[in-house]
Amino acid sequence: MTKWIRWSGLAGFLIIVGLIAALVVLALPMAIRFTIEFVGSKVAGAEVSVADVDVGLSPLGVTLRDVQVADARQPMQNLVQFDTATADLELAPLLVGKAISQQLVVDNLQFHTERTTSGALPVSDVAEESNEPGIKEKTLEALPSVDEVLARETLKTPAAGKALSESWETQSQAVETAMAEVPDQAALSRYRTEIEEITSGRLESIEDFRQRKARLDALKAQFKKDKQAVEAARTAVTTGKQEVSDRLGELKRAPGEDLSYLKDKYQLSGTGVSNLTGLLFGDDAANWAREALYWYERIQPYLSDDGSEDDSQEVEEEKQARLAGEFVHFPTDNPWPDFLIREARLSGPFDGGSLVIRGQDITHQQKVTGRATVFTATGEQLQKIGDLDARLTLDHTGQRGRDSLNVAVSDWAMAPVALGVAGAELSQAKVQLASQAVVEGGVLAADLKAKVRQATFDGDGQTLFARELNSALKGISQFSVNATAEGKLSSPAVTFGSDLDRQINAALSQRLNAKQDEFEARLQKRLNQQVAEYAGDYADELQSLIDMEGSLSDRLNSLTELASTQLEDFKAQQEREAKEKIAAEKAEAEAKAKAEADARKQDLKNKAKNQLKSLF
Amino acid sequence: MLTLLARLFKALNSDSAPGQVAFGFALSMIVGFTPLLSLLNLIVLLIACVLRINLSAFLLGVVVFSALGYLLDPVSASVGEALLTLPSLQALWTDAYQSDWLRVLAFNHTVTLGGLVIALVALIPVTLIARVLILQYRHRLLAWVNRLKIVQVIKASKFWALYTMFAE
Repeated sequence: MTKWIRWSGLAGFLIIVGLIAALVVLALPMAIRFTIEFVGSKVAGAEVSVADVDVGLSPLGVTLRDVQVADARQPMQNLVQFDTATADLELAPLLVGKAISQQLVVDNLQFHTERTTSGALPVSDVAEESNEPGIKEKTLEALPSVDEVLARETLKTPAAGKALSESWETQSQAVETAMAEVPDQAALSRYRTEIEEITSGRLESIEDFRQRKARLDALKAQFKKDKQAVEAARTAVTTGKQEVSDRLGELKRAPGEDLSYLKDKYQLSGTGVSNLTGLLFGDDAANWAREALYWYERIQPYLSDDGSEDDSQEVEEEKQARLAGEFVHFPTDNPWPDFLIREARLSGPFDGGSLVIRGQDITHQQKVTGRATVFTATGEQLQKIGDLDARLTLDHTGQRGRDSLNVAVSDWAMAPVALGVAGAELSQAKVQLASQAVVEGGVLAADLKAKVRQATFDGDGQTLFARELNSALKGISQFSVNATAEGKLSSPAVTFGSDLDRQINAALSQRLNAKQDEFEARLQKRLNQQVAEYAGDYADELQSLIDMEGSLSDRLNSLTELASTQLEDFKAQQEREAKEKIAAEKAEAEAKAKAEADARKQDLKNKAKNQLKSLF
Repeated sequence: MLTLLARLFKALNSDSAPGQVAFGFALSMIVGFTPLLSLLNLIVLLIACVLRINLSAFLLGVVVFSALGYLLDPVSASVGEALLTLPSLQALWTDAYQSDWLRVLAFNHTVTLGGLVIALVALIPVTLIARVLILQYRHRLLAWVNRLKIVQVIKASKFWALYTMFAE
């Protein structure tokens, strides 16, 4: 048997193991520091620095000193920093690469401290913060400027103006073309003179008659052509007049229709700003929510790891030289996830007192531990807050993660809060606050109830609205605020409610109505300007078309009258002259006979008179 | 690498028992088929150091079987997973899981358990086959190999100088 044993080999083995252990112990602080800074920077999106790392062998543990986590959004600030963090480590899990600590103690934990150097990463892969306006800005921006509205909307007025302009171009071209063929007043005068020449004077002979008739026939042919041209021109003018008149009518109706549409769309009514609490407190609430959401979204991806590395590290495996395999876990009272802090105690100064945060079962592999991670925060001897209790439970032990937060704050002396409306300020108040939020399956359900007491409002606004708002606020000493947020975590529907709304609603409504009226008046004015710009001289042009139509009718009548002129033929002239001569002779004979009859009658009368005289 | 090869040839051609060379080579399968940095492999290294096996054959085997293990890992993972999820073995694994030191051996790791089982199953056959091949080599091929021109070229090289240095 002994010939199979090589005792010198045992010594060699011990030397090898000793060298490896020494190397690990020497390199471990550097490796821990590098890992914390590298992984921490990736998670925080900003610089994470560790001043010093100590590794103790008995008991086995790690101490970190002066750790700073920069704020990615404000690189000259630390999001969090602490003086020391001491954690013990269990040896057995460490031999299989699992960091398990029974207790972590963090001292002098501080938030939002100043940095001497920027904590921004050289190449930041953190998406830039969107500078979305708060609820208040959004509400105030609900009424865009008139120019923005006119530029943004597809309105009827400009379209109708354009249609009128195009119609006028087309119709005026047609009228001009038709009018070019119409005889003008000079031509009509020439026609009259020529007809006068043809029809006046005595026909001297048959030849004279024929010449005159030929000239008259030529003129009549011209008249016919001219009449057709006038008819065509009149049709063109009538059509053009109708078309332009229709377009002009549409243009004049368009502003009214546009204004009606815009009033509906850009209504700044009580509905538009139905929630005044949102208007007043929306920004702060949104900031708190954003802060919480920012960090929740950063840690959330790490919470659903079930310990089967091939799921969460699929991409990394592709880069690894060998298949990583996976650990299969079995029921035990002493689970070994990759990382676990069984208990943590973090403390630091806060609001004149101290804030103590306790954590339990902190791990990203809750399916392995079978226990949720729980954080509780308690304020001690705080100056502005009576009691502060918060409990955050991150439960990803099942298939569907459920995270919840409960916060209770009592007698919180709020710092002066500028309401951002008409210079109003909530100068002092005591707040009792209770809120809870649950995220389950990526869906948020949160509600907040706050009672504000001993409220004092100040305001130095000089406008009518400011005075009315401030006078309304002066009479308010307490009010409640309710808020809810529901829906997808990335875009929850947030509502605010408060009895403060009812009290100041009247004042704000008056302001908003005035603003609405002013807006409408400006819109109406601009739309009218547009109508004037488009319609412009077209009304005059339409009138000229109407006049032109009358003128053409006169010309047509003249031409018709001229065309009806007839030239008497030579025979008819002879017969007429003979008839006239006979009639003249007859009249002369009749006059003569009548004169003779009158003479005889007078003579007989005289004779009778004389006979009568002789009787008496 | 040249030194390692020289040591192997020294072992192969020396008076080292064929069984010692063959077992050293076969034992390295455990290291090659399982993740390198583990307590299990530290124990295998201890065995390799303490037992009178040929360390050169062991180290060369680690290189060869690590390359083979790279290809064999999916099979090892499947074998390990099948064993760890076998209902009839659940009680055994659960009991073993309660011991920190057994857990340190990473028996519940699919590739580790699968690679270990494959290596243990193949240990005796590979030892026997390797032993036979070493004997055949020494009896039949050694003289013929020495006559090969390539071998003569090698004997004139730095590698041969190293070999002879270790052979002395």
